[in-house]
Amino acid sequence: MAHYTELNIGPIHPSIHGILKFKVKLQEEIIEDVEITLGFLHRNAEKICELNYYADNMVYFDRMDYLDAMNMEVGYLTAVEKLMDMEVPERAQWIRMIMAELNRLGARLVGLGAFGLDMGMLTPFFHCFIEREKIQKIFVEASGGRQEVNYMSIGGVYQDFNDQIINDIREFLKEFKPYLEDIYSMFMHSEIFWQRNDGVGILEPDVALDYGVTGPLLRGSGVAYDVRKDAPYMFYDKVNFDIPISHKKDNIGRFILKVEEMRQSIRIIEQSLDKIPDGPYFNNKAKKSMMLRLKGDGEAFSRIESDNGEFGVYVRGNGTFKPWRVHVRSPAFKNISVVPVMAKGMMIADLIVIIGSIDTVIGEIDR
Amino acid sequence: MKRTGDSTMYKIISESEDKNKIKIINIDKNDLVEFMEDYKGKGYYLSSITGVDMKDHLEVIYHIHNYDTHEYIEVKISTTDDKVPSLTKLWKAAEWDEREQYDLMGVIFEGHENLRRIVLPDEWVGHPLRKSYDLKKVQYISMDPEGKEHVSYNENEGW
Repeated sequence: MAHYTELNIGPIHPSIHGILKFKVKLQEEIIEDVEITLGFLHRNAEKICELNYYADNMVYFDRMDYLDAMNMEVGYLTAVEKLMDMEVPERAQWIRMIMAELNRLGARLVGLGAFGLDMGMLTPFFHCFIEREKIQKIFVEASGGRQEVNYMSIGGVYQDFNDQIINDIREFLKEFKPYLEDIYSMFMHSEIFWQRNDGVGILEPDVALDYGVTGPLLRGSGVAYDVRKDAPYMFYDKVNFDIPISHKKDNIGRFILKVEEMRQSIRIIEQSLDKIPDGPYFNNKAKKSMMLRLKGDGEAFSRIESDNGEFGVYVRGNGTFKPWRVHVRSPAFKNISVVPVMAKGMMIADLIVIIGSIDTVIGEIDR
Repeated sequence: MKRTGDSTMYKIISESEDKNKIKIINIDKNDLVEFMEDYKGKGYYLSSITGVDMKDHLEVIYHIHNYDTHEYIEVKISTTDDKVPSLTKLWKAAEWDEREQYDLMGVIFEGHENLRRIVLPDEWVGHPLRKSYDLKKVQYISMDPEGKEHVSYNENEGW
């Protein structure tokens, strides 16, 4: 006779990466069904964006994927600048690209560290955060903000790169490359890590596509889709990098893939630092005194590759200073929706590592 | 302009481009399921659903994406009675997207089996992204011992 146990995990729980609730239906230790409750961090940023000037909305995008703030800003700006027919100077675009990739490294480091923490590996967490702190120091130097940077602005960036920032980035990369391999081997030489993750959290590519999953989760299932290659924005078509994929479809495959993507990000930053030209760092039409007087008309949809996947922003303007509608296609929102499929038939302890390997950020899911 | 597929027939009202060079296809909402079935057969997947309140009518925008040909298309329908057909039979991704648009925008997707609020409590009054939503009326949420959320306009009955 079927006998079920219902277990609530969350909303406040140390190992589910934020505040959301899982209601798990268990048969002994085997997961039958998972029901996800969202909304504990809901602020309705889309409505707030409608009430503000175009330039003001940057801070709300910072706080969506709060670990990957630079990429969120890029996502909003590519849409809004298209809407306003605003041209961005070349130097500003290269600066944005370097910052976006640096932030991708930072967000990935948090993800990997927390993933280890979920399995009781305390050491890699500290090493990851030591490195992330160096990235944040660079952000402080450039923008004044550590995590919620508010660095970019419509038509450019808030502050130009000086020699010190470029030097800092170069030095950081030089130290970081061997450090990343250390962190990687810390995980890969752990037997517990393999036992907990090998063959766990299998996601078939057709299921992933059906659920609208993107990012490392989709590439971990063997579909080579990355917005940076698929529809290049900024200057991603002018740098050399590869899109790694994994055919293993499980947590281990995704982990190796994420680390490989970090190596590719380092490649992009190194090339960008060499290519960054001289020139203005913001468009004069959007200088600070004019920023609140920018009008948008029509509609535009832009998509970028954030840490979690395809981040899309839909903006519609009606010829005034404020947007009529802002909609965000959140990658983490789609990624978390596939958890019930991945967890079905697994043990309850596996659910925690599956959530850890998806690496969601609740600020972006709930918005 | 009429197009005939194997067994499908739908009418494209107009085609245009948005400012980011994404193709926009305007269709009637009654043709939506047929249109999407045809495009699903061509290898398209649902990427996102957006509802836009135009005060006298609602626009519902579907972004679909082909991973092989890298094509991104915007499909636009409009409705005056808030009701549009659901796409949950075609793509699983529609399930949460439609719940989100129902919750925040009040679009009713006919045929969705589990159409309830996703981020706001079930008892919430109104749909916040509507232009007519009154932002001055604050709603306070409380939770009973069973874990059910309750909504009240009285600030002493919630937080």
